[in-house]
Amino acid sequence: MTGAGEHADLAAFAATAAHAVRACAALAPPAQARLLAEAGLLGILAPEAAGGLGLDLHHAVPVIAAAAAGLLGFPLAETMLLAAALADHPAGPALAAGTMTATIAWAGMAARSGGRLHGPVGRAPAAAGCDAVLVRLAEGAALVRLDAPGVTLRDGLGIDVDAPEFDVVLDGAAPVAEIGAGACARLDADALVLRTAAIMGSAETCLAMAAEHTAARRQFGRRLVAFQALRHAMARQKLAVESLRGALARCLDLAPEDELEALPARQAAFAAAARLGPAAIESALQLHGGMGFTWDLPLHRHLRRVRSVEAQGDAPGIHAAIAAALLDTNA
Amino acid sequence: MDTDTATLPLGLSGDAYRAHVRRWLAAAVPPGFLADRPEHRPPTLDQARAWEAAMHRAGLAGITWPAEYGGHGLTLREHLIANQEIGRLALPESVNSLGKELAGPIILAIGTEAQKHRYLRPLLEMREIWCQGFSEPEAGSDLAGLRTRAVRDGDVWRVSGQKVWTSASPYAQRCLLLARTGPLEDRHRGLALFAMRMDLPGVTVRGIRQIDGKEGFAEVFLDNVPIPHEDALGAPDEGWATAIRVLGIERATNRMYRAWRFENELAHLVRACRADAALRRLLEDGGYRRRLADTVVDIAVLKGLVEPAVATLLAGQPIGARGSLMKLHWSEAHQRFAALALEMLGQASPGAGAEVRAARARFNDLYMRARAETIYAGTSEIQLGIIADRILQLPRGE
Ligand SMILES: Cc1cc2nc3c(=O)[nH]c(=O)nc-3n(C[C@H](O)[C@H](O)[C@H](O)COP(=O)(O)OP(=O)(O)OC[C@H]3O[C@@H](n4cnc5c(N)ncnc54)[C@H](O)[C@@H]3O)c2cc1C
Repeated sequence: MTGAGEHADLAAFAATAAHAVRACAALAPPAQARLLAEAGLLGILAPEAAGGLGLDLHHAVPVIAAAAAGLLGFPLAETMLLAAALADHPAGPALAAGTMTATIAWAGMAARSGGRLHGPVGRAPAAAGCDAVLVRLAEGAALVRLDAPGVTLRDGLGIDVDAPEFDVVLDGAAPVAEIGAGACARLDADALVLRTAAIMGSAETCLAMAAEHTAARRQFGRRLVAFQALRHAMARQKLAVESLRGALARCLDLAPEDELEALPARQAAFAAAARLGPAAIESALQLHGGMGFTWDLPLHRHLRRVRSVEAQGDAPGIHAAIAAALLDTNA
Repeated sequence: MDTDTATLPLGLSGDAYRAHVRRWLAAAVPPGFLADRPEHRPPTLDQARAWEAAMHRAGLAGITWPAEYGGHGLTLREHLIANQEIGRLALPESVNSLGKELAGPIILAIGTEAQKHRYLRPLLEMREIWCQGFSEPEAGSDLAGLRTRAVRDGDVWRVSGQKVWTSASPYAQRCLLLARTGPLEDRHRGLALFAMRMDLPGVTVRGIRQIDGKEGFAEVFLDNVPIPHEDALGAPDEGWATAIRVLGIERATNRMYRAWRFENELAHLVRACRADAALRRLLEDGGYRRRLADTVVDIAVLKGLVEPAVATLLAGQPIGARGSLMKLHWSEAHQRFAALALEMLGQASPGAGAEVRAARARFNDLYMRARAETIYAGTSEIQLGIIADRILQLPRGE
């Protein structure tokens, strides 16, 4: 449980993040990395010995939610996770310090033969601006440099425009660092929480925009917000946001070692986010009428983002795991 | 068959007409136009004009319009047949659907003889593309709140105001414009329709970037535009009744191919899934099979709303507000399908081939563009209100 002092601390983190995210808007990825590192955001989860803050997901969640609200294009969650997972390798401190940038190819698995990596992997957000990418192997994962021979990027055909997704095609690439299966599982479990936070941050921002728009716009001689259909739609969006906030709080209250409860809570949180987040944002967009269909309003960017985060987290795979666990416990 | 000059053989109707349409399309469609082919390249505006003009010559546009105005003098049954055949292929959307499906029917209904001759043939021959200038910044769902003013000044109407979300206006030659001749307080009274030329002095079009990154619609600024009196449609205060009829058409007969295009999209999704190992597994998954089946059912329901409406219209009966049922069902079902396609194709193997990549590009775009379907031609909230008020005729609360 978090006390009052810690709450203030978390709010300060969120405010720092929001400020840094705004400042990032005008910068290229390397400068973004330095700025975010300066604000202490890249190493939140990394141990102090590896240049991090040695904090846990309590602190990462508000930061990721704020980054999502501001549509940060930098792969912040990936960097946080990698700086922690690679703490024992020089890449970890470099990532925390913002002197190196990396992302994760969330889909697919590379094959290893003779120490070299092969095959296409996918869904690596913002890879074009990164120095390296983590790719999954049958066991664990490996970091490869994007400027190394045998590594090419290809348009991943995602819909996110702020952190566009790439496929990474490996043709005999040499890994520069590796993480084991255990560390990989931890990274995946933490990613479930960070994705939920990102989706909540986007949904909450879109709801605020809908509330503002419908309060300001008049049709039929009334403010739109006076129409009960719209009030109810926003009430549902609020239910979605609060459901995710509650699911996150539950995840954070459970110690990650609590194997029986922690992972199922995280899976449930992300599965809820994958279902509720897109629906809430689609509804907020609808409430904007023609305005919602414009490029300039950021609603569609949030929708693109949460749909991509949903896919990066393999929502269908998580649903299957939840069902399998249910059948298992009731065998 | 020389597809560029092919014309509709005389006297075809019903099944013979369908056979003609099918044969003509099979021979004439440039394969690149089809969005379910890996070699898909959307047509340029000039290509689209040429293609649609050829479609008209072959008897696939202006189907029910009298021959003297360039039409083919057939019935709504043939209109439905053509739409079914057009829907079956992943053809590009018409760049002049507002002309052919909104302005045309209105002109036929309320235009003078001279106006029918002036507007209809150029529109079918794609020499005049139309846009629809109804919505304004302060008049969206509440169309009766529109402020664009038209004032009679000798031989012309002087029109000032601003339109918004005007699709096709960046390249249109004419605009079906709704403007106010009376005071704003009159709401539904004192509205007039015009067939405004877009090259008149005082017309300024400023493109708006849409959700898909393209400039499909625009703001249209009108500054003392002198519209010749001969381009005023109907009586000066008939505008509202006519506008409501326009919107009824927009919901009911407009883009009648939608159910069949929907079917084409569903088939494309399944084909693309068969082409990739990871996606093939999804086709065996109970959850996805259920959602695919739901889509089939949604399409069947849509046909069940559309086809009887055509029969009713053929029998000379009004369909009233039933277009709202079709529009509401189609838009929501299509959005559900677009989300399903996005979710399924998003699980393709990273190494998937050209066929799957082309499908992903099509359905990514469809998912984003489908957001508009519950907004344009009356939002879902407005359709629900129409169904409650005009079809159900529920009493008001007081
Ligand atoms: C892609 C696209 C193309 C378009 N093309 C054209 C065109 O060519 N020509 C043209 O004239 N217009 C066009 N439009 C405009 C379209 O008709 C309007 O966007 C639509 O009527 C809604 O109006 P609005 O955008 O002002 O939204 P608003 O009316 O402001 O609506 C905002 C939200 O409030 C809701 N709402 C409004 N009133 C009520 C109520 N009484 N009860 C409950 N909820 C309510 C709406 O459902 C919506 O969710 C186009 C729109 C789009 C998206």
